[in-house]
Amino acid sequence: MTNTMPKIIRKTSPYLRRPNANAPRMMRDVTIALLPATFFAIYSFGLPALWIILTSIVSMLVTEYVFYQIQDLLQGESFKVINKQFSLYNFSAVTSGLIYGLTLPDQTPLWVVALSGVLGILLAKLLFGGMGQNIFNPAAVARVLVVVNFATLATYQTNIDGVAGATALSMNNADLFSADVLNHYPIMDLFTGIGIPGSIGETSALLLLLGGGYLAVRTSFEIRIPLMYIGTVFVLALAVAIQQGLGLWYPLYHIFSGGLMLGAIYMATDPITSPITKPARVYYGFALGVITFIIRIFGALPEGVVFSILIMNMFVTSFDYYKVTHPRFNRKRSLIFIAIIILSIVVTLVGVSYAG
Amino acid sequence: MIKKSRKVRDYKELTRALPTQTYLDPETVYIHLQNGRCKTYDLYVDEGDHVDFGEVIGVRHGGFFEQPIHATISGTIGKIGKKLHRTGRKVDCIEIKNDFKNTYHKTITDRPDHVIDKLDQDDMVEILKQKALVGLGGSGFPSYIKLATKETINHVVVNAVECEPYLSSDYRLILDRPEEVIMGLKYVMQALNCEHGMIAIKADKNPLYEVLTQVIERRYSDLNIEVVRLGNYYPQGWEIEVFKNALGIEVPHGELPMSYGVLGFNVSTTAGIYNAVKHNLPVVERYFTLTGDAINYPQNYRVRVGTSIQDLIRQSDGYKEDFDEVLVVMGGPMMGVSTVSDDVIVSKTTTSVIVLKNTEYKEEPCVRCGSCVYSCPAHLEPVQIMNAVKRNDKDQMKSLHADRCIECGLCAYVCTSKIHVTDYVRKAKRLIR
Repeated sequence: MTNTMPKIIRKTSPYLRRPNANAPRMMRDVTIALLPATFFAIYSFGLPALWIILTSIVSMLVTEYVFYQIQDLLQGESFKVINKQFSLYNFSAVTSGLIYGLTLPDQTPLWVVALSGVLGILLAKLLFGGMGQNIFNPAAVARVLVVVNFATLATYQTNIDGVAGATALSMNNADLFSADVLNHYPIMDLFTGIGIPGSIGETSALLLLLGGGYLAVRTSFEIRIPLMYIGTVFVLALAVAIQQGLGLWYPLYHIFSGGLMLGAIYMATDPITSPITKPARVYYGFALGVITFIIRIFGALPEGVVFSILIMNMFVTSFDYYKVTHPRFNRKRSLIFIAIIILSIVVTLVGVSYAG
Repeated sequence: MIKKSRKVRDYKELTRALPTQTYLDPETVYIHLQNGRCKTYDLYVDEGDHVDFGEVIGVRHGGFFEQPIHATISGTIGKIGKKLHRTGRKVDCIEIKNDFKNTYHKTITDRPDHVIDKLDQDDMVEILKQKALVGLGGSGFPSYIKLATKETINHVVVNAVECEPYLSSDYRLILDRPEEVIMGLKYVMQALNCEHGMIAIKADKNPLYEVLTQVIERRYSDLNIEVVRLGNYYPQGWEIEVFKNALGIEVPHGELPMSYGVLGFNVSTTAGIYNAVKHNLPVVERYFTLTGDAINYPQNYRVRVGTSIQDLIRQSDGYKEDFDEVLVVMGGPMMGVSTVSDDVIVSKTTTSVIVLKNTEYKEEPCVRCGSCVYSCPAHLEPVQIMNAVKRNDKDQMKSLHADRCIECGLCAYVCTSKIHVTDYVRKAKRLIR
């Protein structure tokens, strides 16, 4: 019966792989999840938003392409138009570029966008060895480069009443616990993002959550990180609200304003720059929340999200250190963790009572 | 794709519902003289000698035990040749040419029930030793050593979970011969003086549940035998996992289940124990699955031990012609061993041969998604072990307990980047041994 004998080759077990699981799909899902927020950004900020997003994506892609071409040439390989390592196909550079673009203020000059994008991906990703090797989130690094180098150039302009240089959060920065802010930005508007100034992609909490829901269904991100992150900010703000006699609007206002949703759902969950085990991811999300909240109410900057992400990126290796890491929760670690949660609430409240 | 994933697509529908094909009269059989546990052997027969079915033709020597070798058909002894073994080495095999008379050796006589009722542990151990019974699920561990335990055993568990994809030989065995399994369990319980027996099956295998419960109710209602249905995930058939889910007993790494009062046998082994005790038969035949997506007619077989796989592949109408490259896997697709040729034979411990088309998976860099850490049944961190292997950091491999890996293959199966993680962990195990 065996007319043509196939060649029998040898491999090692297992011989099956999980269908529908691949890294490009994971990255692509993040891009897809961001599309509603992207379209909303273009709708509310007009063409400048489109140009910013395009510039950020193209700057990162071109940098990566040129970098790998140069690397290949230095290694003495002949020029190929399609480079093997170039990650257009696995969507990681596109995703970074899109997230970076969405974190920018609408008045950012395009050359600032491009320069920071190039530096961001070069310093944070390519020099570390490419996809999977980086310890800092490229989008966060690029965003921080804009903040520290070009703060005066990248300004906000509201799309409704035209007050330049103010977001909902920087109002808060000037006067810590005034309900006054609600007159400018009602909670409902903060949630939907209609008429709210801010970075182009971060205004609508609703659409960002929608994308998060999509990612959760596709299991393309670790849902524990954003839950812990947003939850921590909410709980800390709630504690402050109770202490200062503010209403429930205060914690809601904290989680809906600024880049928290964008950062928590799309930047902090980048698997490459977050810890590996379940418990460590919970701790990581919690730490992000604490740092963000502390920068928000005590720091000089209105926004703590990207900074907290970069700070915690540095500690990922210690979360993953082989002598302390454990893939499951156990009683002792959980008790310590609960103690740390209580401690951080206390520290925040003491700090607030001194600041107030 | 960050999630704990223990569902492995099982492809058992290829063979599960088909009747078992009996193929007991091959032209020749080849009997392994060496195997993974026994390196040397003595042979009592020469070329041209006539042997009967079930006759002892030699003995294998293991490190601390001996294993008689039995003829599985009647016929004349042929040459000693080399054949591939599951371990990947070529080992000596003796050929027996079938005379199709099927004459039984004089030792193969039924043991009457009133004699069996009087057997105690030592007698049973002696029978299993004489009949060279080993773990037929693939481990090949001598069953008499297990049975000779001095610990008090409270539960005997028959492992019929068969969690590997594609395999359905245990399934067919229970459907066709439930009594052998139950009687085998009864004998083990009698030997160990144990009150509680348990047959563990997968939750989604309803026919098995019905067959077993009906037979137990009608004929063996005096025995305290329970049929438990365990979760439908991989690697549920891992003995430690079976004990944990069926009995709630957690056996820590490195300790023997016996010291926790529980003993497990594979379902084929249990049927083998029945045949050894009742009919004085060594393991001469077994249920065997020949399946895969690159073979024309996947089928379960009842075959003599020693049947050539090439014969069986011919029985199944050969390879599909659509593929240039195929894998021939002995054992399941998650833990089995791939061979370089189909010139292999069914040994006692071969549960299946799976012929798969060769799929090349495109490997991406690790994105640290953590699926392997979430999914690992032994609670290891495969990706960290992989990184340690890449750095050749043996301390780290030890601290991450790479030696606890059971090589179930789940980490590579779930990997989002299609990295062969299991291979790295295997390497770590070798390095720190």
